[in-house]
Amino acid sequence: MRAYELMKETFFRKMYIYIVHLSWFAVYGLFFVLLEPEEEDFYQILLFWGGFILPLALSAGIFGDDISSGRVCILATKPFWLGELYIYRILGLSVQAAVHFILAGCLLLIIHLFTGIGNIEDLGSWLFSCWLLFNAWAALSTSLSVVVKRAYNFIFLLAAVLFFFFLNGILGWMSPDDTMTKVIDAFVKYVCPPFEMLTKMAKGEYAKYSLIVGKYSAIKAIACVTHTFVLTVFYGILGVLVLSRRQFTCSQE
Amino acid sequence: MIRNDNKQTTVVECEQLTKVYRKLLAGRSKDVCALQSISLSVAEGQIVGLIGPNGAGKSTLLNLMAGLIFPTEGRVSVCGHPARSIKARSGLGYMPEHPAFLGRYSAWATLRYHGALLGLSRHAISTQIDKLTEQLQMDEYIDRPCSDFSQGMKQRLALAIALMNDPRFLLLDEPSNGLDPIGIIQLRDLLKKLRDKGTSIVISSHRLGELEKLTNDYIFLYRGQVVSFGDKIAAGHLGRLRVELVSNGNQIAKKLLPPAKLISSTETELVIAVGDDDEVPDIVSSLAKGDARITSVLLQREDIEDVFLRLYNERN
Repeated sequence: MRAYELMKETFFRKMYIYIVHLSWFAVYGLFFVLLEPEEEDFYQILLFWGGFILPLALSAGIFGDDISSGRVCILATKPFWLGELYIYRILGLSVQAAVHFILAGCLLLIIHLFTGIGNIEDLGSWLFSCWLLFNAWAALSTSLSVVVKRAYNFIFLLAAVLFFFFLNGILGWMSPDDTMTKVIDAFVKYVCPPFEMLTKMAKGEYAKYSLIVGKYSAIKAIACVTHTFVLTVFYGILGVLVLSRRQFTCSQE
Repeated sequence: MIRNDNKQTTVVECEQLTKVYRKLLAGRSKDVCALQSISLSVAEGQIVGLIGPNGAGKSTLLNLMAGLIFPTEGRVSVCGHPARSIKARSGLGYMPEHPAFLGRYSAWATLRYHGALLGLSRHAISTQIDKLTEQLQMDEYIDRPCSDFSQGMKQRLALAIALMNDPRFLLLDEPSNGLDPIGIIQLRDLLKKLRDKGTSIVISSHRLGELEKLTNDYIFLYRGQVVSFGDKIAAGHLGRLRVELVSNGNQIAKKLLPPAKLISSTETELVIAVGDDDEVPDIVSSLAKGDARITSVLLQREDIEDVFLRLYNERN
């Protein structure tokens, strides 16, 4: 019952969550039709829009709203481990995303069947990558929401991503062989949610590696999934630790 | 009695509780001591009024008891367990001053949600919701979304949430905020019933008149320190004896009354501090024997508002 209510709450907590899902579908459909000759561009947009922006939108204020409204004071006095609050909410987001990407796949399939537009050969692997990336960003964003009030977790992460993107770009252009450039590049690739790795996995760029299934390498795919899962769990543990040690005041803002 | 020296079961115990908020202002650390070495205990079936001016530390004390914040020093135990532990929280019901709910949930869905968080079964949740809806007269708006609620409705719903687990210890922060007179009376009756069943209740409120109808046990907090407990408050002054005379008030007062007892005197009126009911006949008889021609005698008992003002004025 507790798990069900906490997971369900992630969908019903705000009116805009319906709107986010519906508008995201519209964006997918639009770009699928507009970028028809270059399917890969579309899929990268799908990964960016569904795997990065969607989790930020759905998790905006997921704890911050409770903290700033004072609602957390009632929740935190209930007799259960506060980590459950985090775990079931993140699972709620993950289930929402799974349903979202299945529906998105159906939508794109229907568009393709009726119009013949686009190439849906790799749709499944791209949607799976989207879901993995979603989980990682959702965990990071949810953990951040435990320490920042309101929906600022969305803005903070967006700003941090833009900062690292430009920093990495500038350093790579100015001094590509510098140690600092390599450290930042490795940090972005392996500690931040693995956008690049999942893009390569979905594209089938790892096919040159062992245990090839179709255009994909099974070993590399398992490694990518495991890496993303470990990162998601790591972000989650940070959130759970902070939540269990956090103090709450009941003043409304 | 807040210091629970008798054999009753202690439900809440605070020992040498100190809370310091550390704040960084303009790069410099500024510590604010919200509570200082507070020790108290609350017995089973006791209602305690937590009173004091704004900023006295009432909310900090409630938050510590609820386990929402950690003490800087000292410890709080609820039902024999450390305040933030799951076991302590299983016996706790907490109602904040400004309750907030998910706006899209109805009162019924909100109660079901909190029942689920408590780990109650579906059947137990339904039973509790039906019972509380009736007790708190929420039938009319049980299916309406919380975003449409008035302050009074929110208060009732918050109280219902606090009571979902039949708590042994109830913490209420300004529970009568926004309630209409009927609601206030119902709340009072409900709290009395809960007390009779053995629930311990701590209420922080500025509505002193309301508190007085519920309890004689108070903690008066001032600048993070306990100034007075219920028994000390009562022992301070019971009230004032107002005696009207035909004449010679000043002369009679000088001759018959100790200066410490005399609050004020005029030719026709004496105001005398009384510590105990039994003093009244003695005072009146000594005045009569001393040739005072008394026209009326009125005993004005000190209520909690007077006590609050007296304690506050003593410190300012």
